[in-house]
Amino acid sequence: MLEFLKKLYSREENSSREQANDRLRVVLTHDRLGASSQLMETIKEEILEVIAKHMDVEGTPEVNLITEGRHSALDISIPLKGR
Amino acid sequence: MGNKMTEGQVVVVTSGKGGVGKTTTVANLSTGLARLGYKVVVMDLDIGLKKLDLIMGLENRVIYDIIQVAEGECTLKQALVKDKRFPDLYMLPAAQTRNKDDIKAEQVQAICDELRPDFDFIFLDCPAGIEQGFRNAIYAADKAIVVTNPEVSAVRDADRIIGILESAQFNDIKLLINRLQPNMVKSGDMLSIEDLMEHLCIDLLGVVPEDKSVVISTNRGEPIVLSENAPAAQAFSNIVRRLVGEEVELMPMEDDSFWSKLKRNLFSRK
Repeated sequence: MLEFLKKLYSREENSSREQANDRLRVVLTHDRLGASSQLMETIKEEILEVIAKHMDVEGTPEVNLITEGRHSALDISIPLKGR
Repeated sequence: MGNKMTEGQVVVVTSGKGGVGKTTTVANLSTGLARLGYKVVVMDLDIGLKKLDLIMGLENRVIYDIIQVAEGECTLKQALVKDKRFPDLYMLPAAQTRNKDDIKAEQVQAICDELRPDFDFIFLDCPAGIEQGFRNAIYAADKAIVVTNPEVSAVRDADRIIGILESAQFNDIKLLINRLQPNMVKSGDMLSIEDLMEHLCIDLLGVVPEDKSVVISTNRGEPIVLSENAPAAQAFSNIVRRLVGEEVELMPMEDDSFWSKLKRNLFSRK
């Protein structure tokens, strides 16, 4: 019985299958772009730096990598301060 | 020759990672197609590490190899090895003591072009990796079958291969998932068909379940597709029928316990 409950539980988030899926999502996105997660971080920082040089940034900018099928896009949202 | 209507198609079977079942796939799809009456030739492009002859049980019939054909030491006809079981199935062996660089992509293509008028299907058994041997194989092919296992490193390599094929302008790339264990998927310990489709985003050609009888049939040099009742045989037969344009549903991948059968009957009416 205990085994059964354990099995039921393991099917949830922390199953090795879900771990494999999560790891694959990250690694495939980076493989396809030919970029490491470190490089993605650097790109984010530099984009924000450039914008901040010319405009006033307000709040927290968001930079996300979105994937659709085999294609990826950098989704950047930077709230700007009005005059 | 016979009832052949159109030019043959050249299909490369590839995977990136080694050991996922490329050669087994080539042997079974070609044997299955030959059984249906198609004219089929398989080419082993794993120069230096040949295995297709062994898997098909034809190792004792090999006289010449593909490099000798490319270098003009023998004719293509002389080098083709006739299958034991089907009169319209042939194999062109790789050379065991040469290197991948001993043949050029253009030479592989020339051999394929010479075979096209006489065969319905020309299968290229691609070596693992993405080096010269792989380049030779994809250069000549019209279509690609990417073989993978439900396992992270195989999926990652498959993704890389698909990327390269897409940049090489392939528009017919299909996925074959080999060695799936439905019980492990169910208990949350193996990537599922849906997971692989989500990651790789290409059309599914078929799924072959893990099946111990493949080991036995490989020992004997008889493609599993010919044995009756083995799950892998059924799966490969279905894939063969899809290759010739039939619509065949995926076979039930559940385990065959009493409860799962009952559940399937009760809840899966469509």
